[in-house]
Amino acid sequence: MGRLLAFLISFVALITSAAPQLHGAETVWSGLVIAENVAQPQPIPPELIRIEGSLKKFFGYNQYQVIGQSQKTLKTGQEDWLATSKFFGLHVDARGESEAGYVFNLKLYKEKELLLETAAKLNRRSPLIIKGPQVGGGQLLLVLIVQ
Amino acid sequence: MKTFEEKWTAWLDGQLTGRELSEFEASLPDKAAAETEKADARKLGALLKRELSARPLTNEEFFSHQLGERIMRESGEPSREREVETSTWWTIRRLLWTGAASLAVFLVFTIFVMRDKNPAEESQYLTQILNARVDPVVSPNATISMFEAKQDRATILWTEGLQSLPADYAAK
Repeated sequence: MGRLLAFLISFVALITSAAPQLHGAETVWSGLVIAENVAQPQPIPPELIRIEGSLKKFFGYNQYQVIGQSQKTLKTGQEDWLATSKFFGLHVDARGESEAGYVFNLKLYKEKELLLETAAKLNRRSPLIIKGPQVGGGQLLLVLIVQ
Repeated sequence: MKTFEEKWTAWLDGQLTGRELSEFEASLPDKAAAETEKADARKLGALLKRELSARPLTNEEFFSHQLGERIMRESGEPSREREVETSTWWTIRRLLWTGAASLAVFLVFTIFVMRDKNPAEESQYLTQILNARVDPVVSPNATISMFEAKQDRATILWTEGLQSLPADYAAK
């Protein structure tokens, strides 16, 4: 009887302590992606494999290359960071954690010029894709994924 | 001193004698009716005695009865054993373990279901764009739209009319 009680108590404690850990430190990947149609497309970068279907379906290009990226592990949910390429910068500013995910303020800069500004509640299982300006024959895309 | 009812009962049973009998019979208002009633009571008593007494069994009947009981006993024993066998599975210990296991399963499911609160609400598991704007000076004709690709679980912010840039800007 005592053994059973001990088992029950430890089990409940384990489950309840494990549950918040599921929402613990998470890594957010932010990337600047150039999508274009080329004769010999390169394979999709591993960070984008998860959304390859969506990219091809909505943008229709055959090649997606990461020109700038940054990966940040969120601990407080208040971190901010920058993903940059030679000319573009994506400033990601985490503004807190909600039950479904994180709230971010995003700013896309071309050099020092602000092109686009948005706020989004990023869900852990739902990536955010932003269609940026046209660059040459291709398209700049901004991608945010909770890994 | 006996009451009238006691004397009446004793008279019906024929237990009154001598002076007591003659005195009681003299006190009866209608002796003939009383005698008729006494005869009826006796008839009823005899009938009840005859019908309610246990009928003695004949040898044949007794033998059949004994045999029947033995068959019942022999055929009934194994089923009782089976009953005992099945009932012993649900011991207190097993009941407790089963209860504990059920509770554990319930807790696991509760915790995992609670993580996906209101799964019917699309916005709960899709990224939501709260607001978006472009610099009107840099891109005066730009428009913004947003949509959720529920099948792919992706949220897309779609801009049109942003300032186009030369291919050099695709550099890493």
